[in-house]
Amino acid sequence: MAKKKCVAMLLAGGKGSRLNSLTKDLAKPAVPFGGKYRIIDFALSNCANSGIDTVGVLTQYQPLLLNSYIGIGSAWDLDRKDGGVTVLPPYAESSEVKWYTGTASAIYQNLNYLKQYQPEYVLILSGDHIYKMNYESMLEYHIEKRADVTISLIEVPWDEASRFGIMDTDEELRIVDFDEKPANPKNNLASMGIYIFNWNILKEYLEMDDRVPESSHDFGKDVIPMMLEENKKLFAYPFKGYWKDVGTVQSLWEANMDLLREECDLDLFDHGWRIYSVNPNQPPQYISPAAVVKESLINEGCTIEGDIEKSVLFQGVTVGKGSTILESVVMPDAIIGNNCLIERAIVPSEVKVPDGTVIRSFDDEIILVTNEMLSGLYPAF
Amino acid sequence: MKKELLGVIDATTYHEDLEDLLAHRALAALPFAGRYRIIDFVLSNMVNSGIRSVAIFPKMQYRSLMDHLGSGKNWDLNRKRDGLFFFPSPIVDFDGNKIGSFENFAANLDFFYRSTQEYSLISNCYTVSNMNFSPILEWHSNSRCDITEIHQKDGGSMEMYLIKTSLLIKLIETRNETGYTCMKDVVNDIQSLYTICNYEYDGYAVMIDSIENYFSTSMNLLQSDVWKKLFIKEQPIFTKVKDEPPTKYIKGSVVKNAMIANGCLISGSVENSIISRGVKIGKGAVIKNCIIMQKCVIEDNCILDSVILDKDVKVEAGTQLTGTAGSPFVVRKGTQQGALMNS
Repeated sequence: MAKKKCVAMLLAGGKGSRLNSLTKDLAKPAVPFGGKYRIIDFALSNCANSGIDTVGVLTQYQPLLLNSYIGIGSAWDLDRKDGGVTVLPPYAESSEVKWYTGTASAIYQNLNYLKQYQPEYVLILSGDHIYKMNYESMLEYHIEKRADVTISLIEVPWDEASRFGIMDTDEELRIVDFDEKPANPKNNLASMGIYIFNWNILKEYLEMDDRVPESSHDFGKDVIPMMLEENKKLFAYPFKGYWKDVGTVQSLWEANMDLLREECDLDLFDHGWRIYSVNPNQPPQYISPAAVVKESLINEGCTIEGDIEKSVLFQGVTVGKGSTILESVVMPDAIIGNNCLIERAIVPSEVKVPDGTVIRSFDDEIILVTNEMLSGLYPAF
Repeated sequence: MKKELLGVIDATTYHEDLEDLLAHRALAALPFAGRYRIIDFVLSNMVNSGIRSVAIFPKMQYRSLMDHLGSGKNWDLNRKRDGLFFFPSPIVDFDGNKIGSFENFAANLDFFYRSTQEYSLISNCYTVSNMNFSPILEWHSNSRCDITEIHQKDGGSMEMYLIKTSLLIKLIETRNETGYTCMKDVVNDIQSLYTICNYEYDGYAVMIDSIENYFSTSMNLLQSDVWKKLFIKEQPIFTKVKDEPPTKYIKGSVVKNAMIANGCLISGSVENSIISRGVKIGKGAVIKNCIIMQKCVIEDNCILDSVILDKDVKVEAGTQLTGTAGSPFVVRKGTQQGALMNS
C-alpha cells in the first residue's frame, strides 16, 4: 500500500446521550443538521477539502445507519483505489472482544490500520462538531513548530469552559498545562478534540498507555498529560471561525438557528469549501399558493402548504394547510398535519404530527418532539 | 425467464421552435422542473421499469448531455454488465433531420447483436412523464403485434415503440432496401408487412416541442395534482445530483406557489415560478410566472414577468423584463441583461 503523509482517524462512536431520544437509534455523528447534512459530514468534507484522502472512521455505538451512510465514501469523494474511507468497528481477538473504552484505546486497537500506510502524521478528529477547518494549514503549522503533537484550540464562553479540555500555553503557544473538563477552569482556551501527532510518538504513547491498568485510555485525560509530564513538544493551534459542539438538544437547535442569519459565520454556500453529504435525490421543494415562507432554510422534496418562519426543514418534509412552524427544526420525512402549531421545537425524522397538534414551549427550553409525546396528546381509542 | 427490455433513446431530435434554448445543448439536455434535464424522465422511467441496459444515440451538441449522464451512476446504470451506453453519431449531418435514427443505430449494430434482451423499447428523449413500461411490455408480448406504438389517450403517437430486438436488427440491416429511416417510417407505412398495434397510455405525458409548450408544461407543474403525477416516491425521477445546500429564504423574501430547487438565496418575491439550483434573487426583486434556470443572478429591484432565463444569466439591478404566457421573454444562456437594454 502506498505511503501516506497524513492519515485521519475520525472518532464516530459517541453516544451523545444529552441529545436524548435523537440518539436512541443512531450515533451522535449521524444526527441530522442544517436541513440536509449529518454532523459527520463536516469532518469528512473538511478532510476532502483539505486534501486528506485516507480516513479511518471509528464506529461503536449504534453503527448501522452511520455505516450505510458512509458507504464507500463516494459522497465525500473518498472512494479511492488507494486509501479512501474505511469504517473501523471494534473487533474480537482470540482471547476477547475489544470494545473501544476510550478515545486512545480506539486508535490503539487500529494501529494495524495505520501501519499499512506508514504515515508521517496522524490527524485525530471527532465526528461530533460543526465547523469548517483546513487541516492542511494545521499540518503546516505542526511541521513548522516541529511539534510532537498539535492540538487545535478555540476560545469558548467562560461559563462553558468546564465542559472542555482547557489548555494553558506560553507565548510561543507551547502547551504547558492541559486539564480535561476542569471544575474551575484557569482560562477559556478549549481543545476542539483535533490532534495532529507524529506517527512515531503516537504509536509509542498509545502502547505505553495501554500498559497502564488504571488509565481510562482517553487522549485528554491520560495520553496528553503523560506527554506533558515527559516534556514533549505540544503546541496549540488557535482556530478562529464557527465551531459548535452540538451535544445537547438546545445547542443543536441553536446551531440550526445560526444558519438562518443573513450573515452566517458558517457559510454553506461557499463553493470553495463545500460541505458534501449523501444527496437524497428528491424533487424541488413545492411552496403552495397558501404557504408563507420567511427566513428559513428548506431542502428539496418538501411540500409546504402552511406558514414557515425562522425554521430549518430537511428533505421530504410535508407541512399541511393552516399549520405554522416557528423557530423549529423539522428533520427528514417528518409529516406535519393541518392546523398544527409548532414553536421552538425539534421534530425528529419520520415523525407524524397529527392535525391540530399544538407544540410550544412556554419557557426557554426547546422541545424535542417524540412519538410518545404525540400519542399522549392523542390517546388511541 | 423474465422478459427483458433493452432501452434505446433516440436523442437526435432537434426542435426549431426551441431554438433559443438549444443553442448550446441537445434537446435531451434541456433543463426542466428546476433540477432535471428532459432526458431524465424517460431514462428514470426505463430504470424504474427494470431496464438494465440503455443506449443513448445523440447527434449534435452532446457535450452537456454527456456531462449530465456521466457514467450513469445517478441512474444506477454504472454496471459491470449492461448499464449505460452512449453512441454519438459518426455522421456529420448539417442537414437537419434528414438522416434518420436507423443510420445512427446501424453505425453501432454490434451493440444490438451483443444485447441479450429479447425486446427493445425505442423512445424519444423529450417526453415528460412518469410511466412504467412493464405492463406495456406484458401487453405487447401477449399480443400478436410485431410492433407496438405507444399512443397518448385521445392523442397522437408518443414516439415510443416496443419491438423484438431481432426484428429491430432486421429493420436496421435492411434500411436501404426498405427505405425506412426510423421507427416512424415503419409504423406509418400503410403497406407495411408487419402487424402494428397501438397501446393507449392514459397517464400524464407531455412531449416538449416548442417554447410555448415548454413554458405551459412547466407552469402546470405548479398545480399539485400535476406535480403528484410526475413525482412519485416509489418511482423517483433521477438526475445528476449536486452538492448544493438547502435553499435559504432571507429576511424580506415572499414566496408563493413556486417550485424551488436547492442552493438558492432568495431575498425578493417569487410567485408562480420555477427556480432552478443555485439561483440568487436580490432584495426587492419581483419574479412572477418565470422559469429561472441554474445559477442565474437577479439583482435587487428587478421585475420579471413571464420570462425564461437560461442558465448563468445575470440581470442587473432595476431591470424590467416582460413576456406573455403565449410568448415568454427568453434570455439566452450566459448573457447579461442591463436596466437600459430593453427600454
